[in-house]
Amino acid sequence: MQLISETLEQAVEQLARLPGMGRKSAQRIAMYLLKQNDDQVFRLSKAISDLKKNILYCSVCYNITDSDPCPICRSEKRNTGIVCIVEEPRDVYVVERTNEFTGRYHVLGGVISPLQNIGPNEIRINELIQRIRDGEEIRELILALNPDAEGEATGYYINKLVHVMGVNVTRIAHGIPMGTELEFIDDATLTRAFAGRQRF
Amino acid sequence: MINTSLSLTNFRNHHQTDTVWGEHVNIITGPNGAGKTNLLDAIHYLCMGRSFSSNSDQYVVRLGERSFLVKGMFQGTIRSSFEVACSYQRGEGKRLMVNESPLERHAELIGLVPVVLVSPEDKKLTGEGPAERRSFIDALISQTSPVYLNDLIRYRKIIRQRNRLLTDLHHYPHQLDDMLEPWDRQLTETGSRIVMKRNIVIRQFQSWLEKAHEQLTGTELKPTMTYKSIGENDTSEERIRESYTFQLRASSVKERERQQTITGPHRDDLIFFLNDMELRKFGSQGQHRIFALALKIAQLYYYRDVLEDLPVFLLDDVFGDLDPHKTEIVMNMLLKHPGQSFITAAHPDKISGLTGGDSDRVSNYRVSGGKLEQVR
Repeated sequence: MQLISETLEQAVEQLARLPGMGRKSAQRIAMYLLKQNDDQVFRLSKAISDLKKNILYCSVCYNITDSDPCPICRSEKRNTGIVCIVEEPRDVYVVERTNEFTGRYHVLGGVISPLQNIGPNEIRINELIQRIRDGEEIRELILALNPDAEGEATGYYINKLVHVMGVNVTRIAHGIPMGTELEFIDDATLTRAFAGRQRF
Repeated sequence: MINTSLSLTNFRNHHQTDTVWGEHVNIITGPNGAGKTNLLDAIHYLCMGRSFSSNSDQYVVRLGERSFLVKGMFQGTIRSSFEVACSYQRGEGKRLMVNESPLERHAELIGLVPVVLVSPEDKKLTGEGPAERRSFIDALISQTSPVYLNDLIRYRKIIRQRNRLLTDLHHYPHQLDDMLEPWDRQLTETGSRIVMKRNIVIRQFQSWLEKAHEQLTGTELKPTMTYKSIGENDTSEERIRESYTFQLRASSVKERERQQTITGPHRDDLIFFLNDMELRKFGSQGQHRIFALALKIAQLYYYRDVLEDLPVFLLDDVFGDLDPHKTEIVMNMLLKHPGQSFITAAHPDKISGLTGGDSDRVSNYRVSGGKLEQVR
């Protein structure tokens, strides 16, 4: 359906491109924004344009940050010998929430997937190798990638490259999430967890 | 597992059909094109998340409509009753729900309500290419093992990724080797688990196949099913993996030529024999038909053996193909079968005489023009 106003149509079209958004929700949001006062709408549009303008990628770990290097890479409390490899910046936040990991990060910005034309050069593997070479004295890399085929392939690839450089590569364990009732675990995860059972 | 009630909305020629089913044998009769198969297909949707008679969900929507909905209540022996629903909307796709909460992945549904389907398409099993037989064995195992299904999905993904590399880097052989390595490890790891599982199940399946075939035609011909794969004689996952790795390396030149992964369980086959005769090459029409039916009945017996819950047994138009004697055998088998079954038939007279004494175990339905009624 063509909307009456070209301007509105433009807004709806842009909103509908957002993830998880359909045309109907986009229309609803556009109509909602129209009803808000100018100030509110201005703040939203500024926040969106600042997002692209002000956010940087940390030149060490490639996490998103307002200042470069990012606060985690600058922090003196962090153990520089251990680096956790994650796929996306959101994964850094997930690990950080635990307050347990005291090393630093390396954000790949994706995983190897030939079907999507993503090879090792399209993600930040060379940058990781450079970090190890540049004498950051990295002793251990912890792979915290998704356990799907692409995450595994990326892990294998990294392992092969850094193994010869004398760096230990470990990966996080797979199994049952803490605080989850057994009955809510999907069957495949549970079966794998049984296979990887440990002495009590 | 018992399908106690079923509701169809805009599903093929059914505008709105609601029914309750009998616990044992349900016979659905009606003229050609009345919508008998569609009822079985709807139950199949709730078990496997897809149609058995159409490749695409969009053709299942009733003409002139935009969406369909199938809902059914199920009752297990150890599980309390639950509802499974499948909805499809043009442009938005399919949603599967159990007790009104949506499933994140299609695979989560498989095995919840195990199903065995006998249909006229079964003749492809013994007569056509290996893909039909692989999907039989995959459906057989997936319904009992979510891990197997997971491995299968993962394996297919790895093959697609790998094939893409073989095409994209065709002119850069050195780089190709480097890029293939991380996928090869996963390919052989996941692939060997699949081969191992198929190996075990096929061996267990043999005795059920013999039993089913004997019930249908006696002991004169002994059916066997042999598995053709990499490392088919290896007895451990490790050994299979070694064989697989070896063969993958051996086929390296060829697969670079063809730009395709050519070794692995995605190329497996099952070979069927009657005594020493290979069925596909030398079997008669009748032998093919009986063998295919025996495979499905064996699947039912196998599930009876390994699963807590009996599968739902769907028989689409089987009697059209069978002589009166075989029809009687199958009918008697169903009457004795402790689980629930659904049978469609165009000619009620062909089976009406066979069910007389067991009226409490048999429920009769008639369909015409997309409308269903129970016949008492």
